[in-house]
Amino acid sequence: MKNLVPIIIIAIFFTMLNSCKEKDNDPGNIRLTFEEKVDGELLQTDTLKYVNEAGNPYMINEVQYFISKFTLYFNDGEFYTVKDNMGMHYIDSDIPGTKSWDIPEDIPSGRVDSIVFVFGLDEADNQSNIFPNPPESNMFWPEELGGGYHYMKLNGKYQDTTGLLAPFNFHLGIGQTYDTTGQVTGFVQNYFKVSFPLIMMSSLLVDVKPGQTTELILTMNIDSWFATPHTWDFNYWGGMMMQNQAALQAACENGRDAFSIGAMYEL
Amino acid sequence: MILLSVVSCNDQDNIILTPVNKTTPYVIDIPFGFPTKLNIPSDNPMTVEGIKLGRYLFYDGRISGHSEPEKQMSCSTCHLQENAFECGIDNPQFAGGKTHGVTGIPTPHYMIPLFNQVWNYSGYLWNGSVSADNPDPMRRNIESMTYLAIIAPHEMNSDTLSTVNTIRNIEGYPELFKKAFGTSEVTIDRMGKAIAQFVRTFISANSRFDQYLRGETQLTPSELNGYVLFVTEEGADCFHCHGGGGNPLFTTNLFYNNAKDSVFDDPRDRFSVTGDPMNKGAYKAPSLRNIELTAPYMHDGRFKTLDEVIDFYSGGLVYSPYVDPLMHYIISGGTRLTPSEKADLKAFLLSLTDHEFVTNPALSGPEVMPQ
Repeated sequence: MKNLVPIIIIAIFFTMLNSCKEKDNDPGNIRLTFEEKVDGELLQTDTLKYVNEAGNPYMINEVQYFISKFTLYFNDGEFYTVKDNMGMHYIDSDIPGTKSWDIPEDIPSGRVDSIVFVFGLDEADNQSNIFPNPPESNMFWPEELGGGYHYMKLNGKYQDTTGLLAPFNFHLGIGQTYDTTGQVTGFVQNYFKVSFPLIMMSSLLVDVKPGQTTELILTMNIDSWFATPHTWDFNYWGGMMMQNQAALQAACENGRDAFSIGAMYEL
Repeated sequence: MILLSVVSCNDQDNIILTPVNKTTPYVIDIPFGFPTKLNIPSDNPMTVEGIKLGRYLFYDGRISGHSEPEKQMSCSTCHLQENAFECGIDNPQFAGGKTHGVTGIPTPHYMIPLFNQVWNYSGYLWNGSVSADNPDPMRRNIESMTYLAIIAPHEMNSDTLSTVNTIRNIEGYPELFKKAFGTSEVTIDRMGKAIAQFVRTFISANSRFDQYLRGETQLTPSELNGYVLFVTEEGADCFHCHGGGGNPLFTTNLFYNNAKDSVFDDPRDRFSVTGDPMNKGAYKAPSLRNIELTAPYMHDGRFKTLDEVIDFYSGGLVYSPYVDPLMHYIISGGTRLTPSEKADLKAFLLSLTDHEFVTNPALSGPEVMPQ
């Protein structure tokens, strides 16, 4: 019997190890919830209550945008990219149903080291007519300007130097280059990746837990679009930008720090 | 389509399924580039028989329930196929395109296009008040429109009992109802469903511009330049509200204050539906398909020609705090198109006329009505 003890202990050890491994392989689920904030508070639309870094009083009427290629990188070196709806999701401040994305996929469980997504649609995804139905089809970006879809429509008004409320269409998508006669000579992909290196963020641990739904809250901090590295002065840039690559580039550079992320766990 | 009723289910081995109606499903072919999602209520699937009945009813003035011929009114009294199912600005019965009911009471607004509604999920009429989220079940979809037209003082000014009795007593109709719905019972609900089925076949998708998108024809340089103006922000910037190649409905079906006024006192604007002050003076962006045929323009018919409309957007915008933010040209009064650009834009808009649609015999009035 004495000789059997080590064998039993080893057997128990391997049994436990095996069961732990099986448990680890049980998938979990992810729900993405989207919110918009200005100056740290939830967005209030249609009210002239905000002032940007350039000192322009402004209001936001609506925001509509795509994210895509949402990817979780796990601490074991594996990663998982969401496939649902071709990996693309449309968020519309006027359509509550778009502000939550219950990803209908089994996500491998484990500790997440980093989260990465594409703001807008990358060159491979951003193909014209892939969304025949509204509301996404209303985001189409004209072929003549590069095709595909707006990455974002952020519509609002700012108080201009005369005191009037001037509309702005902060619309991001594929940019163009022009020759001296005004003819389009090429297109510029302005999408960018947003990364959350959670491993560097000690305040946030994200786990996909077996059999549970982890809710990730993705916040767009709208004021960030108008600050850092470029102080956005509406009186300089005006109300439109779809055919102004300098504006598109500056706006997209501002957007790289416009998102933050949080997590909640199923009770 | 075969509907089955369970007559007996006491004994699972002896379930008797009795066919109560046999209809022929009607399948809509999705035109190139059009939305694949169709707004067809689950309780009113489209059938050949239903559409056939709906076509008769759409064109039958007796649906108004009035016995005097001069008081009879049908859907087609105002919705004329040759005008893309609007009445037309040169309609001898409705001067200037302003419609009125059998008693002469004018309709609150001018007409709004009645085609491609099978892709409309954003409510009907200029203010979208007839919509799926309306608490009144009689004001939710195209099916509701028959009932609303019958009772409205500014339309048929009748009552549903008179209408049902009139139609029921026309010998040919009960059999058509039986074929469409399984029994010969005539009801307003069934009439609304049949007409709605017919209206959902009003599909306009074969203009010269459609043919261009399909690679079947070429547009003129002027039309092509007009299209570029249409879809560019620094051009005429029409596309954000009115679609284009990526949204061939040529409308978002959404609601905008397009800077026509600075005072808003219409009790039937979008604000009257939502209560949201930002919707003051806002109306649905109509489809620009067949725009050549649907004058006068805007909810109040204030513009008689396309030239007037283009001039308005080019330099006649009126500032108010309620202007939709997409109207970013408000600060300069409009898009400031040159005369040449205006001509090109108009040339493009004329390429949206669908001659096949407005002459399609399947949508025209039946040669012989039920008697």
